[in-house]
Amino acid sequence: MKQIAKILTLSAVALTLGACSSNLERSRSLGNPNVSGNTLAQQVCSICHGEVGNSVNGNSVNPTFPILAGQQAVYLEAEMQEFHEHTRKDKAAQDMMWGIARDFTPAQIKQLAEFYSHQTPLPNPAAATADPAMVAAGQKIFNEGNLEKAVPPCMACHGANAEGNGPIPRLAGQHADYLYKQLMAFNDDAMRGEEHEKNHSAGSEEDLERPHGVAMEGIAHGLDDAQKHEVALYLQSLK
Amino acid sequence: MKLTSLLERARGSVLLLLGVVSLAVSLDASAIPVFARQTGFKCVACHVGGEYPQLTSLGRMFKLTGYTMGNANDIFNLTTNIDRPPVAVMLQAARQYYTNTSSGNWGTAPSSSMDMQVYSLFYGGHITDNIGMFGQWTGQKYNNTATGTQYSNSDSIDNTEIRYADRIVTANSDLIYGFYVNNRPTMSDVWNSTENWTSDWIGYFNGGFATSPGLAPTTVLQSGGLAQAAVGVGAYVFKDKTWYGEVGVYKTPTHGPFSVLTAGASGTDMDPSPYVRLAYNQEWGPHSFQVGAHGMVSNIHNSGLVGASDWADTVNTYRDYGLDAQYQYVLEPHYISAHLRFTHEDMSNAAGTANPFGVTPTNASDTLNETWADITYIYRAKYGAMLFYRGATGSNDVGLYASSPTGSPNWQSWTPSIFWAPVQNVRIGYMYTFYTQLGGVTGNSLSNGVISTLAPHDFNTSMLYASLIY
Repeated sequence: MKQIAKILTLSAVALTLGACSSNLERSRSLGNPNVSGNTLAQQVCSICHGEVGNSVNGNSVNPTFPILAGQQAVYLEAEMQEFHEHTRKDKAAQDMMWGIARDFTPAQIKQLAEFYSHQTPLPNPAAATADPAMVAAGQKIFNEGNLEKAVPPCMACHGANAEGNGPIPRLAGQHADYLYKQLMAFNDDAMRGEEHEKNHSAGSEEDLERPHGVAMEGIAHGLDDAQKHEVALYLQSLK
Repeated sequence: MKLTSLLERARGSVLLLLGVVSLAVSLDASAIPVFARQTGFKCVACHVGGEYPQLTSLGRMFKLTGYTMGNANDIFNLTTNIDRPPVAVMLQAARQYYTNTSSGNWGTAPSSSMDMQVYSLFYGGHITDNIGMFGQWTGQKYNNTATGTQYSNSDSIDNTEIRYADRIVTANSDLIYGFYVNNRPTMSDVWNSTENWTSDWIGYFNGGFATSPGLAPTTVLQSGGLAQAAVGVGAYVFKDKTWYGEVGVYKTPTHGPFSVLTAGASGTDMDPSPYVRLAYNQEWGPHSFQVGAHGMVSNIHNSGLVGASDWADTVNTYRDYGLDAQYQYVLEPHYISAHLRFTHEDMSNAAGTANPFGVTPTNASDTLNETWADITYIYRAKYGAMLFYRGATGSNDVGLYASSPTGSPNWQSWTPSIFWAPVQNVRIGYMYTFYTQLGGVTGNSLSNGVISTLAPHDFNTSMLYASLIY
């Protein structure tokens, strides 16, 4: 018995010493600037932003986490910068991404943006269960906008297949729940602006959940709750 | 009891609760415990609806990768980020209401008014890129299983684990493997369907069974009875976030390096005992599901670590094996979780040899089938409700279950509970445990050695509590 205890103790010590050599290739450290973006994608981002069976492909499973595969690199870089600076303040950003991006270096952000923009987006499995009538209504909004409230067609900026362009994000195949929550964030920011106007008080960017999404505020505000759902479901169905 | 009378009695407690809340809201809500400081996450990232100890998919991965993700301290340069100290404290105050407080000979509530009950210090997290630690040290003002005043003011090591983990990710494979040393069987688990990390911890604070041996029995593996007495080493793999396998060996060390992890001489002397865990995990959309098997064979000697020696070298063997399952729905604003566990125990009892709970069986062999289930719903990580079911059936043994008129182990209990988390660091809740069957009976024929006309409901317990973790 004593022999076993000795062997176990020695193994534990050996293991500890062995592990003390830095493991840059497979590090989960979010504070070491020498860890590459690729390693971070594999060891950290893949926990939430990957598929079961292929953790690094950027096609997330839970709609809390957006799909990053094929996203515009410029957009990814801008968002990570906003998480890093705490300027993007929607709930999920605060809950998770503020911490993740806390000590990101510009180089890591650039590498991560490159990495995920080069992954292949897969069809969203949730699209199969969406109500076709809602998807069709969403398609109409996407193509024609909502003229009544001066909402322009989404495709005008996001592209005919919602593939995005530079700072304008790809939306095709994105989780409907995530898209809806972002539309709500833009909507709430629009209402905060209105509130300031009414009170003749100076609004500040710090009050806004997504201050860099000003262009989306009026658009989101011009869609009612059902329309937001519809357009989100349509976007989720795009491949 | 009339509601007004209950409110009258609870007035002091409510005032104290309000005090805790106002203190908590004045604190910086972004400054939170060890792992949160290390990762920068809010509680809700790793805990279902922010409700510790239940782990989300992210929480499971954090634990399986050895508590290493994040950035808090760098042991190579001996530096710690001053804003992210690797320590945290948890304070829990409670007022308990026992049905059976009328007799001083029974277990009485630890305090008749709102009082500090438990404080824990947490420490650890990232040590190297592959090694991390979960450390807990707990002070307890009362011994909830003792009779009389129950004041004990003990403090000792609590759940503690050190892990080494590595993760190899390629385009079509995701493999985590690791090793651990810890001081409680089931502590290594990442699903909340085995003993250590279930949320029905009121059972722990239930002193209502003092002096009534054998009521509400549990299997050795799922009892928590080996916590901080047994120390184990184990190895595990998690493949493609789907298949999980783990083997460990636990024993009660009396000396040597592993005894650091024990809370001192425990009275239990266990030979090296194998622990096995297998699980299948699946995740789709906001859902996740796990089904698994667990097992342990514990060989426990007659004598404890102190007192009389075990001249006869008699050993009781407990073979525990069972199935468990977990379901979770995690998508703001709704959080749902449900767990189910069934554990079967075969006991081989040596003559005159007490079990780990200090009770001596009459039969040479016994069986016990333990069932446990719970469901939790949390809204916006603020308002929650839980319902637990616990119970067991098994062979009669007048020695083991002396409080029962027939020596029956059979019991059933329900614990509804509600809680409110005004900020993520604070939880205020109320739990009520009621017994519909104890000792195989529903009527008043249970005995506590003094009175033999007790009914299961005489052991009902409720608890109003507030916890602050910072």
